[in-house]
Amino acid sequence: MELPVLNEKPDASASGCASHSCGTTDDQLGHLTDEIRAKVENHPCYSEDAHHYFARMHVAVAPACNIQCHYCNRKYDCANESRPGVVSELLTPDQAVKKTMAVAANIPQMTVLGIAGPGDPLANPERTFETFRRLSEEAPDIKLCVSTNGLALPDSVEELSKHNIDHVTITINCVDPEIGAQIYPWIFWENKRIKGKKAAKILIDQQQKGLEMLVAKGILVKVNSVMIPGVNDKHLAEVSKIVKAKGAFLHNVMPLIAEAEHGTFYGVMGQRGPSQDELMELQDSCSGDMNMMRHCRQCRADAVGLLGEDRGDEFTLDKIEDMEIDYQAAMEKRKVIHEAIAEEMHSKRTAKAESAVKHAQEERLTTRPVLMAVATSGQGVINMHFGHAKEFLIYEASPDGVRFMSHRKADLYCGGDDTCGDGESVLQQTIRSLAGCEAVLCSKIGYEPWDMLEKAGIVPNGEHAMEPIEDAVMAVYKEMAAAGKLEQAKPEERATA
Amino acid sequence: MALQIIESCVNCYACEPLCPSKAIYMSEATGHFRINAKKCTECEDDFKDAQCASICPIEGAILDALGVPINPPGSLTGIPPEKMAEAMAELQAH
Repeated sequence: MELPVLNEKPDASASGCASHSCGTTDDQLGHLTDEIRAKVENHPCYSEDAHHYFARMHVAVAPACNIQCHYCNRKYDCANESRPGVVSELLTPDQAVKKTMAVAANIPQMTVLGIAGPGDPLANPERTFETFRRLSEEAPDIKLCVSTNGLALPDSVEELSKHNIDHVTITINCVDPEIGAQIYPWIFWENKRIKGKKAAKILIDQQQKGLEMLVAKGILVKVNSVMIPGVNDKHLAEVSKIVKAKGAFLHNVMPLIAEAEHGTFYGVMGQRGPSQDELMELQDSCSGDMNMMRHCRQCRADAVGLLGEDRGDEFTLDKIEDMEIDYQAAMEKRKVIHEAIAEEMHSKRTAKAESAVKHAQEERLTTRPVLMAVATSGQGVINMHFGHAKEFLIYEASPDGVRFMSHRKADLYCGGDDTCGDGESVLQQTIRSLAGCEAVLCSKIGYEPWDMLEKAGIVPNGEHAMEPIEDAVMAVYKEMAAAGKLEQAKPEERATA
Repeated sequence: MALQIIESCVNCYACEPLCPSKAIYMSEATGHFRINAKKCTECEDDFKDAQCASICPIEGAILDALGVPINPPGSLTGIPPEKMAEAMAELQAH
């Protein structure tokens, strides 16, 4: 199926957008061959529209690591794949298999099992491969993925190809040892701890070699990079070019998360993370070279559920111990549900293509682009109460159409319990996290946040509940245009002008 | 002659498979990995450097035969100890 590209026009580069990564969101996969697209279009981590429907889970079977990153504190999970400061429940391969099958039987939307930590999966080859081998046999309808820093990757490619794992993520933060030495203080290599540039060079060589070997084997490779302002931010466009040339199919730039309380080198030394604007700018500049993945949630190593949600508490070891799972029966049920979701996604994609055609035929607006925040719990519609949103999806509306930009975490200001006493300041934090947005679309919203949002220059909107996100965002954009709100500069531009 | 793993061990398992003497075990009593002093050779006949101390990510978690940390504060993370102390004091003040 050919997906629509809304703003495929000669001057697309003027806005920093390359035709392949902009327009409607699902054309991020537009450049891929049919074979690769078939593999990823239902994958919540790779396909922007699939992430509204399908769920993923991680099992924390891999505690050991063979390198140190400056954004990581080994007392916690890997900060690259997980939020820092959290510790996952370590599982044996046997427990991991049981947990995966329990989740798959209870959350039929779960299609992807990843091993991402809490250390480096390939630095724990026995535990990681035992889990994959058993799942390939016992739950063949689950896709398997693995993430790695790449150091042990060349030695693992043969084994990975045996287990029929078709997605591997390599974290590549640099291709220059000078820069690498500022990110990785040491590696463990050939029975020695090696430091400095020498260590970075070995790691970089192994990453690149591993990438080439995976591509040669026909295994899909995604590359993750952590954007570290002043260290590798200027360098990542080059990384993007190189990994694409070698055959990586996606490049995901994630923001550095660094706080002193995490006890990481960057946190303690005061290294800042990128602002939303800096991140989006880099993602835009890289998107000309590569398809980017803007909806990544940097989920924790034992996350369960749709992206942005974590239902791990429902599947703790003591709970799964008591669950009786008939996986054959579950697999049949899952198949029916997956087919229904595929059908729904297909009709939504068709409808989106039709509305894109309709939009193209209408008189073209000449208004400026606007960022809007959306509260959703999935299915691609606006179906979440403002106060219940743990995160907001950020969309850009412009005369070219609507495109997904990023997600932003919100602090829950109303848990409906006794924490409500502190509500106001947390609500202010939530509103701050929406900086740069001019409207927020949700299913419902209370009076207090309504007032505060308005005061912050963000228009609350609860009129499009249960409507498809892109349609609703475009409708609000047109209302703003009709009301003459888009002829003036953005509020923050006025403020700084 | 033996090394020791102390309670700051975070149970990451990295050292356990590397030990040429199979001296590292999970202690039920302490809840973290420990070294069997009777088996530990400090890797003398096998490697140039003690393997557990070469992969351990936690500063101060492994002591030499004299009880001195093989990886002292700052040696693995690159965070100067005074900077770490400053940051921790700052956090506690809040």
